[in-house]
Amino acid sequence: MSIKTVGVIGAGTMGAGIALVCARKGHQVMLLDANQAVLDKALVYLESILTKDVEKSKISEQEMAETLELVHLVSEIEQLADCDIVIEAVPERLDLKKSIFSQLSVICREDALLLTNTSSISITEIAGGLSHPERILGFHFFNPAPVMPLVEVIRGKKSSEENVEVAYRFAQELGKVPVLVTDTPGFIVNRIARPYYNEALRIMGDHVAGVEQIDRIMKLAGGFKMGPFELQDMIGIDINFATTKSIYTDFFHEGRFKPSRIQQQMVQSGSLGRKTGEGFYDYNQ
Amino acid sequence: MITTNKAVLLVGTSPLYAELNHLMVERGYQVLTLAEAMAEPELIELAVEVNSVDLQAKKRQVRELDDLLPPNVPIITTSLAITATEVASWTQHPERVCGFGTLVPLVERELIEIAPALQTELDTIQATEGFFQSLGKATETVNDEVGLVFPRILTLIINEATFTLMEKAATATDIDIAMKKGTNYPYGPLEWADRIGLDEIFAISRGLQRDLAEERYRTAPLLRKLVLAGRVGVRSGQGFYTYEEKVGVEA
Repeated sequence: MSIKTVGVIGAGTMGAGIALVCARKGHQVMLLDANQAVLDKALVYLESILTKDVEKSKISEQEMAETLELVHLVSEIEQLADCDIVIEAVPERLDLKKSIFSQLSVICREDALLLTNTSSISITEIAGGLSHPERILGFHFFNPAPVMPLVEVIRGKKSSEENVEVAYRFAQELGKVPVLVTDTPGFIVNRIARPYYNEALRIMGDHVAGVEQIDRIMKLAGGFKMGPFELQDMIGIDINFATTKSIYTDFFHEGRFKPSRIQQQMVQSGSLGRKTGEGFYDYNQ
Repeated sequence: MITTNKAVLLVGTSPLYAELNHLMVERGYQVLTLAEAMAEPELIELAVEVNSVDLQAKKRQVRELDDLLPPNVPIITTSLAITATEVASWTQHPERVCGFGTLVPLVERELIEIAPALQTELDTIQATEGFFQSLGKATETVNDEVGLVFPRILTLIINEATFTLMEKAATATDIDIAMKKGTNYPYGPLEWADRIGLDEIFAISRGLQRDLAEERYRTAPLLRKLVLAGRVGVRSGQGFYTYEEKVGVEA
């Protein structure tokens, strides 16, 4: 494996998790965030995970120190100029991502691979109009990135096959399981998982079965680890609703993805799941 | 085999037939075919009908059961491709008809869903619940709609996976890996469909489209074509995968 210098943009939970995945495999990581407080928090997060690894005797204290030394906290995008690979993990806003990739197109070497961890924005649109769009690809981790094995490698309309292969191999080098998908709304997982939530909401709305019944059925009859309603409460009902709306919009209102009014009302009422203490279930007791 | 003298009449062509037969015999039931039951219809305590793909055959068999059996004998019918209410409407004694729905393999189903028709009497519902509980399964009674809960949701997931494959957005193998590794599904949707039978999934999808009549339930054309071509999954040696050498269809 060739040691690479990897830039990670955005030091939130996703960005910090991705930085850890890369550092654990010995890559130099430049973790970028404009907000120093976010960087500080990311460092605390990395230390807490690695400390647990030491406690469980998965790694030694020296290995922990070596891994942390590989992560460099930076605040200026120009500091990513020498990166071989850059992974962007900022909030899901097209304007923000376009601005970052247009800067990277100028700052980075022509052979640097530019990856976005977007879960819902078109890779083709992010790369559109930029020089060398062939090196811009989707590279979608699942939360929490240090734990979940999957990476969706997303081929934009102008991504080159050569770069797709490099990204695929890089995911394998990181110890992840890559899958290839062309740039389509929701890629694989978020698209195919839509009915798990949406149809459960429809069944509930039509009074075929109630929330607890549906969760119990999907676990005991279907063998799913969590029911669709407890899962929405965990993910955040607002996040789940936003994903459905985005896929529905991007498929030009294809009926299969039509969002649920019940879910919309949950969001409007502020019942967003575990994080607000109340969602489809009450967590205040 | 424990002899209980509890005789159950089992009819139908779904893959559920063989598994229910096996489970009932294991639990001490005497399982009779329609021909056997005709000799001594008064022995029959309960009838189970499991057709989903051919609804004409379903109607014919349900009517045969209704004609043959005394009116107090419950008829439990799969309400996967059609509502229990519609099945009950074919009979002279709709109050003894009750729907249920599950998918093979039964060994993986801790719970079986029951869906009474609008016409179903309480006695029939209780007999249906008791029957599945006697097979070692928990039950959940839901309102009558095509595909109940688990088969309906899984069918829509499989249908969306089929659209994704049809559009060549990803390979069958990558679709299955993604759903297992990215969101902890017990099986990938396409390998799951191959084990259940694409014809059974298609029957549910077609039923939802027929009864609810929305774009939302449109069957992926590739799913329908695979069924028409006889590629219904593991049972036929080919579905989304071929089973001599597990290779994804690149169609």
